[in-house]
Amino acid sequence: MEKFRLLLTLLFVGFLPSSALAALDIVASSSSTGALVRAVAGEQANLTILAPPDRNLHHLQARPSMIRALRGAELVVALGAELEIGWLPLAINQAANPKVQPGKPGYFEAAAQVSLLDTGGPADRALGDVHPTGNPHINMDPVRMAEVATALAERLAMLDEEHASDYRARARAFSKQVEKQVSTWRQQLANPPGVVSFHKDVVYLLDRFSIPNWGTLEPVPGVPPTASHLRAMIDELRGKNGVVLFTTYQPEQAPASVGEALGWRQVRLPLEPPIDADGDGYLEHMQRWIDALTAAG
Amino acid sequence: MNKSLLRAAVAATLSLPMAAVAADSAEMAEVKRMIEAMKADYERKIDALEQRLQAAEQKAETAQQASTASADKGRSRMGALTSGTAFNPQISVILDGNYYQDSVDGGGTELLGEADGISHVHGGDHGHGHAHAHGGAEQGFNFRSAELAFSTNVDNYFDAVALLALSSDGTVELEEAYFQTRSLPYGLKVKAGKFLSDIGYANNQHPHNWDFTDQNLAYLSLLGGHGLRDTGVQVTWLPDWEHYTLFGFELFQGEQEKLGTLAEVDEHLEEELDDVLGLEPDDLNLSGEKDGPRLYTAFVKYAPDLGYDHALQLGAWGGWADQHQEIHGEPQGGVPPFADTPLHALEGDAWMWGLDAVYKYDASGSHGQGDFKLQGEYIWQRKDLDVVYHESAGIIGQDREFTQDGFYLQGLYGIAPRWQAGLRYDVTGWTNEKRSSTNPLANDDWDASDRWTAALTWKPTEYSALRFQYSKADIMVDGASNDFDYFYLQYMMSLGSHGAHKF
Repeated sequence: MEKFRLLLTLLFVGFLPSSALAALDIVASSSSTGALVRAVAGEQANLTILAPPDRNLHHLQARPSMIRALRGAELVVALGAELEIGWLPLAINQAANPKVQPGKPGYFEAAAQVSLLDTGGPADRALGDVHPTGNPHINMDPVRMAEVATALAERLAMLDEEHASDYRARARAFSKQVEKQVSTWRQQLANPPGVVSFHKDVVYLLDRFSIPNWGTLEPVPGVPPTASHLRAMIDELRGKNGVVLFTTYQPEQAPASVGEALGWRQVRLPLEPPIDADGDGYLEHMQRWIDALTAAG
Repeated sequence: MNKSLLRAAVAATLSLPMAAVAADSAEMAEVKRMIEAMKADYERKIDALEQRLQAAEQKAETAQQASTASADKGRSRMGALTSGTAFNPQISVILDGNYYQDSVDGGGTELLGEADGISHVHGGDHGHGHAHAHGGAEQGFNFRSAELAFSTNVDNYFDAVALLALSSDGTVELEEAYFQTRSLPYGLKVKAGKFLSDIGYANNQHPHNWDFTDQNLAYLSLLGGHGLRDTGVQVTWLPDWEHYTLFGFELFQGEQEKLGTLAEVDEHLEEELDDVLGLEPDDLNLSGEKDGPRLYTAFVKYAPDLGYDHALQLGAWGGWADQHQEIHGEPQGGVPPFADTPLHALEGDAWMWGLDAVYKYDASGSHGQGDFKLQGEYIWQRKDLDVVYHESAGIIGQDREFTQDGFYLQGLYGIAPRWQAGLRYDVTGWTNEKRSSTNPLANDDWDASDRWTAALTWKPTEYSALRFQYSKADIMVDGASNDFDYFYLQYMMSLGSHGAHKF
């Protein structure tokens, strides 16, 4: 009988939602939103990241492990602006967790907290995989990410009033850190090279530091580079000083052919920080992008 | 513009008579002064008028602006308040067509649907079963369907989906139409309407989501062309456990082509019954349609967390049909031995079970390069029937137990960005038998039918796909082997809202 009671207790404890025992269960769609969660929530978060940094966030599938993670989540932090449209809404829907549905306090979209670039274009898929709501790759702008952190602190404060001041203090500290770092980077990037990127995924970085954006290797978003497009690009940019930027899941042939023809360096870096990054880790990750730009200067 | 014209006109009118006036300077001065005064007076009046005009114009403009602004917000004072079209559901249309050729003069898809087994014994069926094989292709160009999909959340309690398939001859088929809860607690979800059952791995996939152009043989022979789809209710439970585990239970009306089909005496058969045997349809002793639900399923899916690169999902399911009826053969008349299969009717119940597994490797390459997927299912079906009518009266009351299984295994590999190569082996009828405990002479066995298929799919973007598929099949029909091959050149075009990437 005693044993049976113990078993019953163990079972009961096992079935309790984990939030009753520990911190807030937070699910981040990517490692950059994960880094923000770590920066703002610190120890108060029990964090799960759905996509590792080397994946194209636009092309994932709603895997059972994601649905499992969302099932018990109290907060989902997504980059948003339709970047995760193919899988996150479906995974949330299948997770049978009313708390994290869009519109509820448990759903937080980073892109909804800041101003976006490339908004209002025509909704015409002949122009590629376009997002009329705006370019979703805001994780490449540290200043916007600091704004997101501030908004995230408010959301966390709403979900967990007890630690509200902790969240706000951490978000302030992160913003200060970003501010300081950005002014240093601004000085280092006083005379920046022009940039050709594979996809329109670095526009926020270029815009933030007024770096000339000389176009993308993709003729239109989501469509692979064509020989004629690359030829035209090379002809136009011959004699200029620049760098070709691309990321881990993009093929290297096109960046190599353009880079070699122009005598430019080609730099391949992940768009997302390492999976275990916090606020510092995010800034270290951005430092690698800044280094790639300054070294080319 | 108006202002200066007006001024010039007034000045001209006033100065004209002035030239005609004679030279008396005092008078002249007086007249001049008067004119100046008049001029000033007019100018003042004109200015005042202009100001009033301007004010009026401004007023009109702001009024117009206000009215357009309010029209933008649907706030016309004359009409009703409306939110316009912002609440429209997400809409997409998927065009699915192909070019088809086979080595049997276009009989390929028909042969696939007639493979020997427990649904195709002794020729003529008189079941509910469709005469057409789903997606049956003719030599040459085929337009399989234009699928219209509408989906949205109804309110904060329900999501709803409606999918209609329009075929090239203009027929419209309701593929799915259901609603599902979105805010139940404890990981529960309830779905109701007409929908594809969530048994197995491939059953809930629409043809345009298949990795191959046509349905696998196991599903085709045991569940039907579009799998198990029916009208009913589903409850699923996703407990908050360490690994993904989903339990589901479904109640269906039982309007099925294979599992739990109901026999129907059509006009042709009714006439023959009367002419040849002098019988009424009721003399076949088939009972009336039982009240629904007549079909039940239960399933469980389990997916251990294997990290970001690997994913595995295992599933098991069972299905039970309360009522199953079949009519076979043709009315012969006379006495045994019969030239052809004599008319007989069977009734009882039927059940099924299946196991499914899918493994996926995510290579994090560009557009699916290096990704790998391996998927396999085994399904098994049993029909426990009794002979309720037979032209040889002695056979009535005997039992008949039919068993058939099916299996497929398919792999898909991303050979380059946006290019997938696939290979499939499918078979039906490893076990393929009729047994009778009361009359062993009625026992029968059929051979298995199998097929190899290779496919190459190119997906230029997420919205379009082109596929070449080649198959080599060995299908048993009436005990004879039919070796043939066929190919498809298929296109799928997705118009409208962004599709979901299901696991």
